[in-house]
Amino acid sequence: MNDNNEYIKEERNKDWRVNLRKSIKAKDRTDRARAHMPEADPAVRNKNSEEVNKGLELLTAVYEAGRCLDCANPTCIDGCPVGIYIPKFIKQIESQDFKGAAATLKDTNVLPAVCGRVCPQEKQCEASCFYTLSLKKDPVAIGHLERFAADYERNSGNMSVPVVEKPNGIRIAIIGSGPAGLACANDLAKWGYDVTVFEALHELGGVLKYGIPEFRLPNIIVDVEIDIMKKMGVKFRKNVIIGKTLSFDDLREQGFKAFFVGSGAGNPSFMNIPGENFNNIFSSNEYLTRVNLMNAANDEYDTPVIRGKNVAVIGGGNTAMDSVRTAKRLGAERAMIVYRRSIDEMPARVEEIKHALEEEVEFMNLHNPVEYFADEKGRVNKMRVQKMELGEPDSSGRRRPIPIENSEFDIEVDSVIVSVGVTPNPLIPGVLPDLKMSKWSTIVVNPETMQSSVEDLFAGGDIVRGGATVILAMGDGRKAAAGMHKYVSEKVKVK
Amino acid sequence: MYKLIEKEIFSENVIKLVIEAPEIARSRKPGHFVIVRVDEKGERIPLTIAGADETKGTITLVVQRVGVTSWKLTNLKPGDFVLDVAGPLGKATHIEKVGTILCAGGGVGVAPLLPIAEGLKKAGNRIITVIAARSKDLVILEKQIREFSDELIIMTDDGSYGTKGLVTNGMEEVIKREKVNMSVVIGPPVMMKFASMLTKKYNIPTVASLNTIMVDGTGMCGACRCSVNGKTRFVCTDGPEFDAHAVDFDEMILRLGAYKDKELETYQEYLKTIS
Amino acid sequence: MADLTTKYLGLTLRNPIIVASSGLTDSFEKIADLEKNGAGAVVLKSLFEEQIILEADQNLKEAGKNSLIYAKYSETLDYIDLYIREKELSKYLDLIKRVKKDLTIPLIASVNCISDIGWTGFAKQIEKSGADALELNIFISPFGFDNNCDEKEQQYYKILSKVKQEIKIPVAVKISPYFTNLGKVIMNLEKNGANGVVLFNRFASPDIDIEHTKIISAEAFSNPVEMYNSLRWISILSNRLKIDIAASTGIHDGKAVIKQILAGASAVQVASALYIHGTSHITEMLSFVENWMDKKGYNYIDQFKGKLSQEKNTNPEVYERLQFMKYFSKIK
Repeated sequence: MNDNNEYIKEERNKDWRVNLRKSIKAKDRTDRARAHMPEADPAVRNKNSEEVNKGLELLTAVYEAGRCLDCANPTCIDGCPVGIYIPKFIKQIESQDFKGAAATLKDTNVLPAVCGRVCPQEKQCEASCFYTLSLKKDPVAIGHLERFAADYERNSGNMSVPVVEKPNGIRIAIIGSGPAGLACANDLAKWGYDVTVFEALHELGGVLKYGIPEFRLPNIIVDVEIDIMKKMGVKFRKNVIIGKTLSFDDLREQGFKAFFVGSGAGNPSFMNIPGENFNNIFSSNEYLTRVNLMNAANDEYDTPVIRGKNVAVIGGGNTAMDSVRTAKRLGAERAMIVYRRSIDEMPARVEEIKHALEEEVEFMNLHNPVEYFADEKGRVNKMRVQKMELGEPDSSGRRRPIPIENSEFDIEVDSVIVSVGVTPNPLIPGVLPDLKMSKWSTIVVNPETMQSSVEDLFAGGDIVRGGATVILAMGDGRKAAAGMHKYVSEKVKVK
Repeated sequence: MYKLIEKEIFSENVIKLVIEAPEIARSRKPGHFVIVRVDEKGERIPLTIAGADETKGTITLVVQRVGVTSWKLTNLKPGDFVLDVAGPLGKATHIEKVGTILCAGGGVGVAPLLPIAEGLKKAGNRIITVIAARSKDLVILEKQIREFSDELIIMTDDGSYGTKGLVTNGMEEVIKREKVNMSVVIGPPVMMKFASMLTKKYNIPTVASLNTIMVDGTGMCGACRCSVNGKTRFVCTDGPEFDAHAVDFDEMILRLGAYKDKELETYQEYLKTIS
Repeated sequence: MADLTTKYLGLTLRNPIIVASSGLTDSFEKIADLEKNGAGAVVLKSLFEEQIILEADQNLKEAGKNSLIYAKYSETLDYIDLYIREKELSKYLDLIKRVKKDLTIPLIASVNCISDIGWTGFAKQIEKSGADALELNIFISPFGFDNNCDEKEQQYYKILSKVKQEIKIPVAVKISPYFTNLGKVIMNLEKNGANGVVLFNRFASPDIDIEHTKIISAEAFSNPVEMYNSLRWISILSNRLKIDIAASTGIHDGKAVIKQILAGASAVQVASALYIHGTSHITEMLSFVENWMDKKGYNYIDQFKGKLSQEKNTNPEVYERLQFMKYFSKIK
């Protein structure tokens, strides 16, 4: 990060930045209220899949960018898992160099249009903003601005295809077309490698496609980015499950010199309580895959989905929010979140919780299911919940939920979505017995190079971190690309 | 895009398809299945690989017409393309020489049974096969499975072919007359349930190949979950084969009916549009 | 040669010595050793909710320290206790299965309950795994200050009846003596379906280190003198109950075993004695009992079981007071 500090300083001292800072007094900047993100009307949007956040208007974005004080010590960058040059891109927006802003973002973040929408900024960059830390005011809307710049570039129809170095003919295999794989492929392609991305499903994008709903992240955004990568020469192969369709040895025989495993944490967890295998009880993965990937909500598509009227979603993360808001859109009269801790302790993005509340999702905090009951056809019709109270904090600092004696009662449900976490996909670890794994079933890697215990195999994203975030996955992908580049270069030199 | 090379009609509702998928043909082993999606709007369904030809780069699927997707698939003509075929998925059959193996296939279950019988025969086992169908024209793959069976017994409900009776009748006769070391039962869930109840009575270790609803087929969604020994298992990654005496067949049958009403409705509408 | 066979919870034990739920019974190897050393039965080490919470916490701590694992806002680690619970339960059930498969010693599973939620499903799985019986260690804390003693008692019966509804294997209830009307409570346990009672559970006590002026754990092992409370209650109750009683706490030698049986116990549970003297101590205790039986001319246990239990028609309150007065008047 040290050379980065130099770069940050250098850029900040450039004339245009200095002049821009001088152009508005600091107090005039801090007096501005944080921009409000225009949102679709909750009463309308909870019945359709239009994107909830409409995006900042141009002048609003410029005005908001003006709030940024271009700090000498940009703490916001420390809060960003991949170290985006935040003040730089924001100042570029302020000076209306939107394309420049997009380019700055792409320096460190392959999918800014995605991250601007799905990053938990309130826990990352915006939590470290000077406004939050020192002024105790609303932070600069860094996420909204990132999205603005990325969308502007995309909508201008004039997206730049990154410059690709001279092809070096070295074949690299990327396993998984989710954010980690895409980020890794992007860098390696830029450096001239012959990159092939293998995807097990029939659509590219991983969790960006099957997991995150259309109303949060329109699929078109992912497709546009993938198209650019195709233009860069990245090859994509769908319906190929590495470890099943082709083995690693097959790939080595085909001449692949290094591998990046970004197969994600797709293994759904269940609570193992009585009745959990009744019909119409789904993992959030199944529910979201049916709706997002297979378009089950659209009658023209063959995949069915159960449109429950009384839907309970168990869990408190973003996946639970996505599931319950999807259920609402599919016609649920009661779409309930059942979470055993309080609303403040939910790991979901604050914005998702806010949007869910607006969309009339019911939040049953301090409740936990203990059993399910079914009708004569085996379809769930009742959920027994127990009330909880909060006890001593656990190691994560959050208060432990303790069941309250004799507090059980039943709720009528016709559909339940279990969203209590995911563990890493066990397929690849299963075919590589030499691969060192952690106690959380993740692949153990060198945190700097992302190299695993198998020399030519690197990994990143959820398969290394457990269910985490898109931005971390992309950061890993980029780190791994650098690590693979070094590894392959050294290997080739030895040869 | 995966080309349909050959199509053969076994009976009104059972069709054999040979599809070009060289990588799958090469990696596949007995017991594996594929996930197939016919077109953009189609759903993903699991189909057992009944056979493969590595030199030709093709896999063989036997499809029973039970709904929209299987109809669309079996309506294709040689030269047409299936949009997505992913595999080989699932855990391959455990092949070992144990002695005498009683293989039982009910209806379309004979198709997935075929590669398993082949694998077990080639491992040096004595294979006694009992296949059953409601009537003569629903008996499939007789010639093919006979090739890998030391003895083949055919049962039909109406007695129109082979011996009149259920698959369990045929199985019990074999069990009563000679020592059976292991059994493999594949077919409709009710058939597997009763066949394994029979073998349990005689303490014969039995393997069943489960056919549940699936969406992704790679262990990602849990739609295919079943209970084995009281623990939840995924048919697509832990199976499709399990210790038959440990499987909760009643739960499996219940879960198979999850979309029945909706599927029946859609299927009937679809049939109207193509008639 | 005396026959030490005894019946407890409908199970036939080769002798009345049961190794109690403890660190002596938490692995296959240890149980095999106890079988070799002659134990009549074992009670598996209890599964504690607290243990699961501790392990979950430990896991979270480690995850937090690991630079790669996404811990703080992880949707998965949010429910880590569920996974750990599942893992622990699986291990427990696997142990039961293995013991039942490879050993012959009767196996009683043990579960610590603070509520009825969550354990009934598990009770079924314990039964399915092959355990011969289940011991419910119901612990509704007597150390609080609320007024609900009736409610607390009802909890015991509620848990017991719920478990009895779910399983067919015998259920024994292990309790502490801290009840106002202990006798009635135990009779109610019988009424609510218990197949046996274990008297008594022993709580770990606090002690005070005067040198460092702080609270520490008291001696972990029981003291033989702690046996007398259960001896008293077993002699009072054994004629009034149809169900089996197992004596627990403070039984360190063959003499104590005999005393409890004379009072009316069908079996005794030992732990501390084996920690102190080693598992071969079982053989010594059994020899002592055998020799005593031979000396007294008893051929089998039932011949002297309950010989000194209190008569059904005696009023225990009066009995107790008489004993007390007799004792003191002697000194006078």
